[in-house]
Amino acid sequence: MISLREKILNTASNLFQTQGINSTGVDTIVAVAGTTKMTLYKYFSSKENLILAVLEKGHQDFQTWLNDKLNASAKKPSEKLQKLFDFIEEWVTSPNFTGMGFIKASAEFPSEDNAVHQLSSEQSRQFRQYISTLATEANIQDADGLALQLSLLFEGAVQAEQMKRGSGAIKYAKIAAKILIDGAVKAH
Amino acid sequence: MLEKSGKTPSGRILSLFEILGDWLTAPDLHVKLPAQLTAHNLLTSYLAKQATAMRAANPEILAEHIALIAHNAALQTISEPNSNHLAHAKIAANALIQAQMQKEWPLPKFTLSKRAVYGAAASLFVIGLSVTSFSALVQTLAPQNIVTAIDQARNHTSSDIKAAAFESNPQNVSLSAHEAATMYAKYEQMRNGTCQFPEAIQIPDKDKAIYLENVVGGKLPANLKDLATANFYLEKVRCNFTPMLMANSVG
Repeated sequence: MISLREKILNTASNLFQTQGINSTGVDTIVAVAGTTKMTLYKYFSSKENLILAVLEKGHQDFQTWLNDKLNASAKKPSEKLQKLFDFIEEWVTSPNFTGMGFIKASAEFPSEDNAVHQLSSEQSRQFRQYISTLATEANIQDADGLALQLSLLFEGAVQAEQMKRGSGAIKYAKIAAKILIDGAVKAH
Repeated sequence: MLEKSGKTPSGRILSLFEILGDWLTAPDLHVKLPAQLTAHNLLTSYLAKQATAMRAANPEILAEHIALIAHNAALQTISEPNSNHLAHAKIAANALIQAQMQKEWPLPKFTLSKRAVYGAAASLFVIGLSVTSFSALVQTLAPQNIVTAIDQARNHTSSDIKAAAFESNPQNVSLSAHEAATMYAKYEQMRNGTCQFPEAIQIPDKDKAIYLENVVGGKLPANLKDLATANFYLEKVRCNFTPMLMANSVG
């Protein structure tokens, strides 16, 4: 059975993704979750801590999903790298797609001193590092460079999709990713 | 800044990253990326015109995506000036251009210079000029005929260009945007590494000029015949990319 903490977390996550983080008040979250402010603050001492918890869970869920998909579909590291954007496209085009937490949060909290902005930047770096590790395992020479190029493609495509669903940006990002990966493989 | 604006639509799109790099690394320039939607729209509108001119599959999406990549890379460059984000963003943008040009279309010869518009768009993108001053800048620097000419070029049918020569003599056929973008990618990649070029003395005299200009010099070949020759010698260039990129790409 889902705990009250998880219920608050899921409710806040849905509201942040659909209505925006700053425009969602604590009152709305407790009303939709069917709980009280006192309970919310018992689990999350402030709204900022709730936002950080939502971001952490969202990123972890996405990474776990992507990792499971890649591990189930490919054995060789080079195949995993080639399939990366297939699954990103699957995720972006799924009906449940509402955007990437760290990208939205970074835009809503642009100040570098802000804890939410800092976590968003860290998650962006973690995702880039994840791609870099895949590239290193696939024996790509400039794994960090390729990872940076692919993450720029990824973040741009997700932003374009957030602005306009079904824009097709991810389709071209996938083709571009293949061009970059093939180029990096040839550069051996 | 203006000298870097390219001769082809794809070259003009890609020069955005160099112009941004110049702005963001200029000494004593306190830059701030504009948050205004208007600035973003003006830039994407200009990029979309270039994308349309090179007959990209979906010019609006290409423009939007490249503007977002440039914005993200510029933000990273501001917080980490030595991160090399813009160079990698340019490579990613070039791949996006290629992705949209995979169905090749011959291009009309496109010799108009739109450097002024581009300079204005990039300046606005970086330092956040007001809409009024941007309009004034565009009006000052970019005559109306430039915009009209883009539209005219866009309206050319492919039959206008196929004209003559292709089957009979590749020397008369200009490079398509896709071919140009591919060559730009190769030059860009070489710039990011330490490359060993074959000695010019080993190259037959008939190919020497192409080798020096289009391989060593990094200048786009003028026609398909020169492209084939340049590619032949590009294959012989040996580059090592590891140390420089590894050092620069940690962000």
